[in-house]
Amino acid sequence: MNLLVDADQNHSHPLAGSRMTGADIVVQVLADERVDTVFGYSGGAILPTYDAVFRYNDGHRLPDGTSPMRLIVPANEQGAGFMAAGYARASGRVGVVMVTSGPGATNTVTPVRDCMADSVPIVVICGQVPTQAIGTDAFQEAPVSAIMGAVAKHIFLVTDPTRLEATMRTAFEVARTGRPGPVVIDIPKDIQNWEGAFTGGGSLPLTGYRTRLKAVIDNRLTDDACERFYRMLAESERPLIYAGGGVINGEATKPMRRFAAAYGIPVATTLMGLGASDTTHPLSLHMLGMHGTAFANYAVEDCDFLIAVGARFDDRVAGDPGRFAPNARHIAHFDIDVSEIGKVKSVNWHHVGVMKRDLEDLLAFGKRIGFEKQLDDWHRHIAALKSRHRMNYDRNSTLIQPYAVIEAVNRLAGGQAIITTGVGQHQMWAAQYFDFKEPRLWLTSGSMGTMGFGLPAAIGAQFAQPSRLVIDIDGDASMRMNIGELETATTYGLPVKIVVLNNYGDGMVRQWQKLYYKGRMSGSDKSLHRKDFVRTAEADGFRFARRLDRKADIETTIAEFIAFDGPAFLEVIIDPDAGVYPMVGPGLSYDKMITGDWIAARDKPTTDVPGPSEMF
Amino acid sequence: MRHVIAVLLQNEVGALTRMTGMFSSRGYNIDSLNVAPTDDPTVSRVTLVVSGSDAAIAQLNTQLAKLIDVVNIHDMTLGDHFERELAILKLKLATGGFAKVIVLAKEHGAEVLDDAQASCTLQLTGRPAEVEAFIDAAQKIGKLQAVARSGSVAVSKGEVTLSSYQKHHRLTG
Repeated sequence: MNLLVDADQNHSHPLAGSRMTGADIVVQVLADERVDTVFGYSGGAILPTYDAVFRYNDGHRLPDGTSPMRLIVPANEQGAGFMAAGYARASGRVGVVMVTSGPGATNTVTPVRDCMADSVPIVVICGQVPTQAIGTDAFQEAPVSAIMGAVAKHIFLVTDPTRLEATMRTAFEVARTGRPGPVVIDIPKDIQNWEGAFTGGGSLPLTGYRTRLKAVIDNRLTDDACERFYRMLAESERPLIYAGGGVINGEATKPMRRFAAAYGIPVATTLMGLGASDTTHPLSLHMLGMHGTAFANYAVEDCDFLIAVGARFDDRVAGDPGRFAPNARHIAHFDIDVSEIGKVKSVNWHHVGVMKRDLEDLLAFGKRIGFEKQLDDWHRHIAALKSRHRMNYDRNSTLIQPYAVIEAVNRLAGGQAIITTGVGQHQMWAAQYFDFKEPRLWLTSGSMGTMGFGLPAAIGAQFAQPSRLVIDIDGDASMRMNIGELETATTYGLPVKIVVLNNYGDGMVRQWQKLYYKGRMSGSDKSLHRKDFVRTAEADGFRFARRLDRKADIETTIAEFIAFDGPAFLEVIIDPDAGVYPMVGPGLSYDKMITGDWIAARDKPTTDVPGPSEMF
Repeated sequence: MRHVIAVLLQNEVGALTRMTGMFSSRGYNIDSLNVAPTDDPTVSRVTLVVSGSDAAIAQLNTQLAKLIDVVNIHDMTLGDHFERELAILKLKLATGGFAKVIVLAKEHGAEVLDDAQASCTLQLTGRPAEVEAFIDAAQKIGKLQAVARSGSVAVSKGEVTLSSYQKHHRLTG
């Protein structure tokens, strides 16, 4: 993932020197980048490139007659963006979106920002009005460069057709290298129609970016840095790894697990880091943070050495940074992005580099010096925390509890399925109650928190991993956001499994309104809405579309649902008052965590209410 | 603390917007910003003056370094440097005020560009404090009709380098 440039940039491309249109050049570079799926929606300003995709596929049929560059058309361009994001998250490859100018481009702003916030590599190719029309308020014109410049890792507006080919290649390089992110290329229609020579190689200079990236890549852990690290570990009796999405993005799961296992260091992951450690491992503490497990948060309170790996002390983890990990005498931080070092919390030791290699180097150094660690007391403490403060809920309720539904799905998924979500309570329940044995199985909009992410992300993930079970755990409100994509799932015959946990409203908003706004449910109640989700799914071609509203039917219905061969839709009517616990209020420290009625708390329940400005 | 930061920026469409957009989206207040071409036609030099805590400035530097168009960054304040600003003032003088202008210009080392009594135009190049002092003094002898300031530009003292930004970017520590 973190390659500087393709070392063997092919300078003897078989098509070098051929005359092509700009559109053909775009598609040829996509082909050279081994892009097999393009998510997008056509329109006036991108027509030449859509035509080029058609002609490319026509001329390069696979032996089974299918297209080498599938074009997947969503209901809305936002769907295309999240499909590409789902594809990228599930595969580690760059997702590709192709949309038209104006509204086509602006509809992708949300997924582009979402990818930036969660460090997901996608390339968005936008048509733009012809060069001479830019700035004239032309039909379907939008200032994409200015809009996307504020939200993407980078945006290129192509003004010189001879630089189009290099720009395309550079866009992929920028998207996948360093801290990954979304890159947008805005291509005026006249440049797509331009004809010139395809060179088959070369990229834009980007002197500064490549120099800084090289400094990070060349930054190997020195013996001195390793020594200082192991001195801290030697002094520690209660070390804890706090692993984030950077471990997954950096393909560093294996070395991270090996390092943790070598010295018996427990691992708590962030929402984005779920799957970095096998959540079924005895030393896995599942997720920490605002809605983390109580035992993970207590372990953070108790640890004396915190090792942050590809994590950034986000406000959902360290709501009160000054009182985060208050007993940690040392904090170490591994990252690929130097701007994350000390951004929120100052650390005693840090290293910015290629995480996969650095963790391998760190472990190799430990082996070389014969480092050993006995942490039996800490392990006993962790085991006690995990048993005493385990996740739990009202198992005797007559209403269907969402946790029970997720547990039932989880028994069939076995920690091996891809799970996507929308945003809100269902997202947190899924994060808390699903097991993840591997990385790239948990796809959720973590930082941006975009409702409507789940369904299109599941579609994109299924294209990336056709043989995996892909399950979208969604909420009724999140499902409404991109409900048009239900039809996309059936159009392409994708066997995605869609669960809508229906509590008739915005459950997380209601939970906060109950806690902090005296129960005034402003705008969050949907009990009078008329939506019939099952008939909606049926109308969109789902042959399996059912409603589950009896507790006794949970096991059998879910078994049939998961076993169904093809797209399947299941609405579950859940207890509308089910809450997400534990909860660390916004801006508060972990000792203020509330655990609800069914999870044992260690500290006295808090009466602290966050300040109004903390309330986001 | 006040920092003067020089940035070499690739001349790409929207590069300046992306830089200034980053300042506003991350909540930095920029005191002055100067942008001009360099000897290299592909690169512009941006000089910005910004005040903030050491941590905030370090964060600003690392965020600047994440912009793809940024070629190099030098926080001048980390070492000795020359900082200069150009100001052009237009003053409306009372009758007989011009004699005072001559004295003012001499004292501050300013140049009289236009000696029209009604709207006398003066130019000064100096350190920011000198420019401030000059404007204060000018206000005492006439009514300020226009103040055009370039914002600071700066170069480091001694060997020409644009790489000391790495002090803000310690990759291991």
